[in-house]
Amino acid sequence: MESSEQTNSKKQDGAEIPTLFTVISSKEIQGFDTMEGTTDKITDTGIQGSMETKMNEPSNDSNRIQAISISMPSSPLRSTTPKKVLFNDQPQDMSAKVVPHASPLSKNTPESTREAKFYSQPMPKATTFVEVEGAPNQYSGPQARNPHVERLKDKRYDSFKTPWSGTLERQLSQFRGKPVEPQEERKPKEPKDGEALSVDRYYAALEGPELDTLRPQEESMLPEDKNWPFLLRFPISSFGICLGVSSQAILWKTLASSSSIKFLKVSPIANLILWSISIALVVAVTIIYALKLIFYFEAVRREYYHPIRVNFFFAPFIALLFLALGCPEEVTKDLHKSLWYVLMFPFLCLELKIYGQWMSGGQRRLSKVANPSNHLSVVGNFVGALLGASMGLKEGPIFFFAVGMAHYTVLFVTLYQRLPTNETLPKELHPVFFLFVAAPSVASMAWARIQGSFDYGARIAYFIALFLYFSLAVRINFFRGFRFSLAWWAYTFPMTGAAIATIRYSNEVPNWVTRSLALFLTAVSTLVVTSLLVTTLLHAFVFRKLFPNDIAISISNRPPKSARKRWFQHLRHGSSDTKDIDQYLKFVNTEGQGSDLEASVQPPKNKSESVIF
Amino acid sequence: MDSKLGANNKVADIEVVIDDDVAMSKNEQNNKKIEVVGIYDQFVSTTLANFHAGYFRISLGLSAQVWLWKTLVQFTKDSHDHGLHPVLMMLPSTASTLLWSLALVVLITLSILYALRCLHHFDKVKEEYVHHIGVNYLFAPWMSCLLLLQTSPILVVPSGTFYQQITWWMLVAPIVLLDIKMYGQWFIKGKARVLAKVANPASQLSVIANFIAAKASFFMGWSEIALCFFAMGVAHYLVLFVTLYQRHPGSNGVSPKLRPVFSLFVATPSMASLAWSTITGSFDITSKMFFFLSMFLFISLVCRPTLFKKSMRKFSVAWWSFSFPLTLLALASIGYAQEVKHGAAKSLALSLSIMSMIVSLALTLFTTLKVNNLFLTSNNNKSQS
Repeated sequence: MESSEQTNSKKQDGAEIPTLFTVISSKEIQGFDTMEGTTDKITDTGIQGSMETKMNEPSNDSNRIQAISISMPSSPLRSTTPKKVLFNDQPQDMSAKVVPHASPLSKNTPESTREAKFYSQPMPKATTFVEVEGAPNQYSGPQARNPHVERLKDKRYDSFKTPWSGTLERQLSQFRGKPVEPQEERKPKEPKDGEALSVDRYYAALEGPELDTLRPQEESMLPEDKNWPFLLRFPISSFGICLGVSSQAILWKTLASSSSIKFLKVSPIANLILWSISIALVVAVTIIYALKLIFYFEAVRREYYHPIRVNFFFAPFIALLFLALGCPEEVTKDLHKSLWYVLMFPFLCLELKIYGQWMSGGQRRLSKVANPSNHLSVVGNFVGALLGASMGLKEGPIFFFAVGMAHYTVLFVTLYQRLPTNETLPKELHPVFFLFVAAPSVASMAWARIQGSFDYGARIAYFIALFLYFSLAVRINFFRGFRFSLAWWAYTFPMTGAAIATIRYSNEVPNWVTRSLALFLTAVSTLVVTSLLVTTLLHAFVFRKLFPNDIAISISNRPPKSARKRWFQHLRHGSSDTKDIDQYLKFVNTEGQGSDLEASVQPPKNKSESVIF
Repeated sequence: MDSKLGANNKVADIEVVIDDDVAMSKNEQNNKKIEVVGIYDQFVSTTLANFHAGYFRISLGLSAQVWLWKTLVQFTKDSHDHGLHPVLMMLPSTASTLLWSLALVVLITLSILYALRCLHHFDKVKEEYVHHIGVNYLFAPWMSCLLLLQTSPILVVPSGTFYQQITWWMLVAPIVLLDIKMYGQWFIKGKARVLAKVANPASQLSVIANFIAAKASFFMGWSEIALCFFAMGVAHYLVLFVTLYQRHPGSNGVSPKLRPVFSLFVATPSMASLAWSTITGSFDITSKMFFFLSMFLFISLVCRPTLFKKSMRKFSVAWWSFSFPLTLLALASIGYAQEVKHGAAKSLALSLSIMSMIVSLALTLFTTLKVNNLFLTSNNNKSQS
């Protein structure tokens, strides 16, 4: 082993790669096999040995050497250890075996020693980029090859950029007078479709009720310590703000115009103001997201394949529908009927795609991906029905109501069941559960509009909504300890929807109980929205963390090496790797899990099926 | 088999040489009898062995077509507002009578074949009964019978008589029995026969059978029984719909050859809408909602042609699964157009009807051309799946 490594290092000396790398690599191998110690920089890891002398040589060559990491049994990958050196071969390994993404500067990489290094110990990936010490390990492929620090900044996000956006950017920067950097060949990541974007990969890599926290043993493809470009950080859940604000506009419009609340004498100005704000918000968010679509298409694609974020793709359409619903009387009395068709057609296309995915099974079947955010996909049907009915259309609203009702039933039952094969349900209460209230309340309003009066069907739906609302409200204690995220705005519109439904109900059944309930719910929803607004502003300007790095889209295409090492490695490293074992088993068995229920029944069925049919 | 025949021939030859003429003719007769018997045995062992209840899809498709033709004739007679293409106005009722007879003949043939299969291969029939997909097709003969009964042009069975009631009960009783067996199994038997495991798109046939029975009961004049069947159908449809959407594993539950049964998703809401419109007398909002759901599922399936790619490579009787749901959808759209009286609805009804007729015609042609493949070949089925 060592002789081959030495020859390898000699070979590498002759290559155009700086000697820095070659020296490190040979040492690295030795470190692997002999478990020798490291320099002072990595004494944190606790390895003693005679590595120091060897390490010092390369450190003379360049300031950029970091400590070599020799992985220790007890150190989790995200430990406080400083940066590790990434030697030349490894990213190649990674790309061959772990991450298929092509780095722009793949130079000659010796293949010989790869095997030995790769399988011996879990080697946390490292970067050569000098960073703050103690930052978590990161992997970034392109950096390993690019000695120039300044250019690294742009290259890291290349994999997420749209292929032709590079030329666009160059033109823009030329326009602005910035010096144009020499264009490196940039290969945006082209994962094979099934490979990179399988739902299981999202489940394996992410956790948390919104599936946006990286699991400890996973690595992000983009550096986590730097602030990514703003566009990359702008998630689709930002459309939730539009939802929250525009539903408030509808609330104040209803307050001003409903007969049972007339005693409050709410002025329609509130509606006008809120409506204008929401228009501005919708336009702003749409423009920003459109820019993201143009420049970072890969990121948008990854959001689309994320099992929770995909539901937010319905949010722009719902926001537009809300805008149409909350349109003040001063702006226009009657909206043209064709507007409804224009709004609903793209919505129909999107839901054909998503519901078809649920039905035809495969990896995105409902029993696996059902989560409360799916309500966003279903509520749009009812909102469209409500808008159409208030415009005076007859058949179209019934169509969307029927489709929405059928799929809502399926979703409702699935979520209530909390199937064991379901991986996305948050185990504890989370504000996302308020989305449960959205569909029945909007459905009741839509049905009332379609039928002309708040009849029994509408009342049944309304009472269901009320029940769900209160059963969540009394558990308010349990809504604690969650990290604020922009998606919370989307969870406010159900409360507003329940308030509006109550107002309509009080119109039908006007007595002091219903009126006070209406006022109470209105107050609650306004309070929640205001506090959310304050929190948002706080995060935006004080903490400056309104748009944190969107980890959910930067998961690597394959699980990290440690999860895929051979089982016998576990024997060597005993304790710490229980987590790795779990990860490994989970990764291996993820496919098997879903079919376990059928496993016992499957084989004979297949046989007889072939005979009979 | 062949060797047996050959041996007999050899024996016969020797005997021809030795014996005189009378004996020769007798032996020739024996020979012919043995040959006939041999052919019959071959027939039994290959055709009947491969014939399964799924072949009743053909009779289902044809009976539904008859119903469509009758409804179209009625529709054109009713609406004289020239909204329809003039060609359809010329649709003679005799054509529908002919179609009805054809459907009846096909049904009788298939029933005889299946009865013979019960006789000779009862173990295979039992296997089918137990199989989670096969058992649903046991509903199919009774469904076709009920449909034909409703659409019989000449009063083959004079209405209002005891005779008709007996026929009706005879047809409905197996449906009820199968219902009890299947639905009871869903919620009583645990472990291996749990609904979550056995549910597959073909299970919707049981629900459709209930709806057809509901419509037929109303045709007989018993509205309460009709409502009873409808309620059973709707309740189990709810359960089945949710289950199928939830954990339908796609490639796991149904083999690729059987993907056409996915089109049954379209059939069930259409039949529900038709049954409900019969019960309430008009195409009210519930029927409209069922119809729209069915349209949505239809568009959703049409947008996914790759789902059916594998099964369309070789002609099999599963292709007939396309005809029945399409016809039901066309029927429901006609009901809708009658209610709404809007130009767009009428053109929708027209296009769906034409589509279903073309599909059924194509399937009939294919079947007649490939009767060999479907009925008389022995081992093809096994090798394909």
